Amino acid sequence: MSTSKSGGAIGPFHSVAEAAGCVKTSDWLILTLLFLAVLGGYHIHFMLTAGDWDFWVDWKDRRMWPTVIPILGVTFAAAAQAFLWENFRLPFGATFAVLGLLIGEWINRYVNFWGWTYFPISLVFPSALVVPALWLDIILLLSGSYVITAVVGALGWGLLFYPNNWPAIAAFHQATEQHGQLMSLADLIGLHFVRTSMPEYIRMVERGTLRTFGKDVVPVAAFFSGFVSMLVYFLWWFVGKWYSTTKVITKI
Amino acid sequence: MKLLERMAVLATGRVARLFGLGMAAAVAATMGSVAPASAHGEKSQQAFLRMRTLNWYDVKWSKTSLNVNESMVLSGKVHVFSAWPQAVANPKSSFLNAGEPGPVLVRTAQFIGEQFAPRSVSLEVGKDYAFQIDLKARRAGRWHVHAQINVEGGGPIIGPGQWIEIKGDMADFKDPVTLLDGTTVDLETYGIDRIYAWHFPWMIAAAAWILYWFFKKGIIASYLRVSEGKEDEQIGDDDRRVGAIVLAVTILATIIGYAVTNSTFPRTIPLQAGLQKPLTPITEEGTVGVGTKIVTADLKGGVYKVPGRELTVQVKITNKTDEPLKLGEYTAAGLRFLNPDVFTTKPEFPDYLLADRGLSTDPTPIAPGETKTIEIKVQDARWDIERLSDLAYDTDSQIGGLLFFFGPSGKRYATEIGGPVIPKFVAGDMP
Repeated sequence: MSTSKSGGAIGPFHSVAEAAGCVKTSDWLILTLLFLAVLGGYHIHFMLTAGDWDFWVDWKDRRMWPTVIPILGVTFAAAAQAFLWENFRLPFGATFAVLGLLIGEWINRYVNFWGWTYFPISLVFPSALVVPALWLDIILLLSGSYVITAVVGALGWGLLFYPNNWPAIAAFHQATEQHGQLMSLADLIGLHFVRTSMPEYIRMVERGTLRTFGKDVVPVAAFFSGFVSMLVYFLWWFVGKWYSTTKVITKI
Repeated sequence: MKLLERMAVLATGRVARLFGLGMAAAVAATMGSVAPASAHGEKSQQAFLRMRTLNWYDVKWSKTSLNVNESMVLSGKVHVFSAWPQAVANPKSSFLNAGEPGPVLVRTAQFIGEQFAPRSVSLEVGKDYAFQIDLKARRAGRWHVHAQINVEGGGPIIGPGQWIEIKGDMADFKDPVTLLDGTTVDLETYGIDRIYAWHFPWMIAAAAWILYWFFKKGIIASYLRVSEGKEDEQIGDDDRRVGAIVLAVTILATIIGYAVTNSTFPRTIPLQAGLQKPLTPITEEGTVGVGTKIVTADLKGGVYKVPGRELTVQVKITNKTDEPLKLGEYTAAGLRFLNPDVFTTKPEFPDYLLADRGLSTDPTPIAPGETKTIEIKVQDARWDIERLSDLAYDTDSQIGGLLFFFGPSGKRYATEIGGPVIPKFVAGDMP
């Protein structure tokens, strides 16, 4: 691009200010379009894979939920990081993807689950993911290395998931007695607000063989999740690197 | 640069107007024929499946019209068919459910027999179970409400449905629940503010993080720096310092949030899951599981005329009771076909499932101790409307259902029948 200190015409523009304005507008367009693309892709991926664990409060257990969600969630976070870091050196890929996912999910939960079907938000709120995403981005920023981000960042991504969600879900783990039976409020919300196509037996909660750890199963699940997230991170970093493109910007 | 010029052209008002018009047309096209969905696809289930899995009877809705916050009970009995079809998994893991279009009524409790059954249970073939679902009106409207049992590996098996009218405003709905510590909370709204308070500030923080880098570095400018090999200039020490501070604040906020939550809710329990203890089947007389020992029925064959909506079967009945019996009812797939010789008044039941003159048979009672083969004719449009005539196209073309006999004492005796029948596809008299 040719420049003009005098503020005269440069390329197709009449002035430097006009060129700068056009670059800024293009920045916004790129950011917005990229955000919508990531939102759509990540949201579909997450609904199809994490699905019910993310949909329902009575699926958010201490065993399967903190295992499954981080493993399936680190995918697009890693790919978005690869794209934005490799091509732009911008350290917000994971946060960018997660914010897109959460905005998509909240629109879905509010408009569809509440607005159309009248399930209360307390039954259908999504999992919180911003804190693990910030962790992932800042580890990449500080280390500048995708390997360190995969090892340290993805482990932290798994470990931070449950404590970061606890403030939202703890209230629903209070106990209540119903006709001589112990139930958590989450179980009771699931019972009260009828889901015709959601029988109780399909809940995949509290399953597995990690019984020797007694009640302290969350740290074990979180470490396992973090470990698998490392492997998934590597894979999806390269998915992001190989299958994303900046051809459009190159033409500018 | 050409792309930028093209983008500038696209951003003109004309394109925006055309886009807006197109969107409005698309929305109008999809809204034009909106109609509320009220049925649950019960007719779409295969006929043999509906007739030979769960046989519903004595199903009652305590009210059909109620105000928001008012309660009602949906109760009845279900017989688990002895010759359960091989195509459907056995009901080892089953869940009593309400079939309704979303939580228009909330389910405050449900019981199988005396047992509270909020989780999955195991049903045994050949047994009968009483069920009760306590419901509370939540959303105004007219809704079709069924009893339903979901069977793992078999899907939902829907019982008869009734239209329920709810009046009032959902905004007035309350769902109080008492916790173990004695506190009462409204399940409709409880915890939602806390969810918003935790989720949305973090989302704002995420947006701030993105916008910070966006405004500071830009997208195209960042790309140019990296493509020119100046990526080391892109991230400086100041940037890393900012990142470290944000990371520290994030971790600190997470720790504080976790600690405050733990002190607010010091006693919590995990989700409760797993199959409930074995259920107690019904043992009272007049139910099928008990009745089969007193009155036996053996299907000796039959035909049904597809165009005539007519089923004719020969059944060998043995009456082991001490009174003469008349056949009063055949029920299958939630439909009731009544013998008008026995049912002189029309019982309370959803009309679309009640053929009050749909059954005819030999009017001579079956004497005590007698074994007799009788011909039973079931003829009603509901057989076709509810798609039981589709049996001819099922992979397992066998009928099932329950027969109810009545004696002069007023006692009811029930038994099940099942077996193959032959379709007749052309019109004309039955053979």
